Amino acid sequence: MFRLFPILIVLCFVSPIAGMAKVVDETEIDQQVREIAKTLRCTVCQTENIWESGAPLAHQMRDAIRERVMQGQSAEEIRTYFFSRYGDYIMMEPPKQGINWLIWLAPFLLLFGGGALLWREVKGWVTRTPAPQPPPTLDAASRRRIEQELHQNK
Amino acid sequence: MTRTTQITILVVLFALLALFYQGLWGDPRHIPPVLVDTPAPVFKGPNVESGELLSSERYKGKVIVVNFWASWCQECKVEHENLLRLYDEFKDHPEFVMLGINYQDEIPKARAYLQRYGSSFPHMQDVKGALAIDFGVYGVPETFVIDKQGIIRHKWIGPIVDNVYTNLTKNVLTPLLQRADTQVRPYDSTT
Repeated sequence: MFRLFPILIVLCFVSPIAGMAKVVDETEIDQQVREIAKTLRCTVCQTENIWESGAPLAHQMRDAIRERVMQGQSAEEIRTYFFSRYGDYIMMEPPKQGINWLIWLAPFLLLFGGGALLWREVKGWVTRTPAPQPPPTLDAASRRRIEQELHQNK
Repeated sequence: MTRTTQITILVVLFALLALFYQGLWGDPRHIPPVLVDTPAPVFKGPNVESGELLSSERYKGKVIVVNFWASWCQECKVEHENLLRLYDEFKDHPEFVMLGINYQDEIPKARAYLQRYGSSFPHMQDVKGALAIDFGVYGVPETFVIDKQGIIRHKWIGPIVDNVYTNLTKNVLTPLLQRADTQVRPYDSTT
């Protein structure tokens, strides 16, 4: 019985370490799954990524990501796989290629185009608006009449 | 503002309105079919009813109608009768195969569903939905047609009813079955 003590003592130290190592591995996989899932759109939801969605399809997609991460596939390989199945639509950020450039550039084009148009219009208004003229001077007769009317109203 | 500027603004506005119109009033079932004209994924799994192993290998060189369904799906019940009719219409053609894929379901419930609504063609289990992702499935029912060379030629999201049935049989299946393809290409094994 006493011969077993050293083995038991070693086991007491080794078991928790082995357990901890497993937990660390799980956490790393979770983290990778989360990072990949956050970049993929839930295809049956409204602007939600796979990580945040509660839809059954998103759940099974998370499982598929996890399985592929555990098989040793890289994030890029996994994203490429989903892209090959669902196309651009699955990417939370549309890839910068082809017609997608319109999505990336259109807001800036509209901003600058609109800004230029507004500047041009405002400049045109300023140019077209005549400079303020001094009020016409009163002749002596008009001044006298106004003074009379003011005097009568008192 | 010059006339050219006014015309440019009008053109841009009309283009934006056209995009909005397309987005708001377009067919919500129309999702760009990414997998059409690409090799079909390899599939393998147990038969829902018998447990026998079914695989894409077995169906090489045939035109396959693959239908994703589930016992909890209401629209699947709507189309089920048409699926049986479709199978009856083409079952005598030596190069025609029809396969149901039971998606994210409980096997006893799937078996009860088939007993109740009828079963004339084989159904494969996809309990975890992994095959559905390989096929780029959004939900059930969804139907794919794979040609003799193993290429996906048609995809339909939603039940096979009315005009959809007519289009599938007359414009998709009949021409594919009449086409004489001799070269058989492998299925997509990258998945």
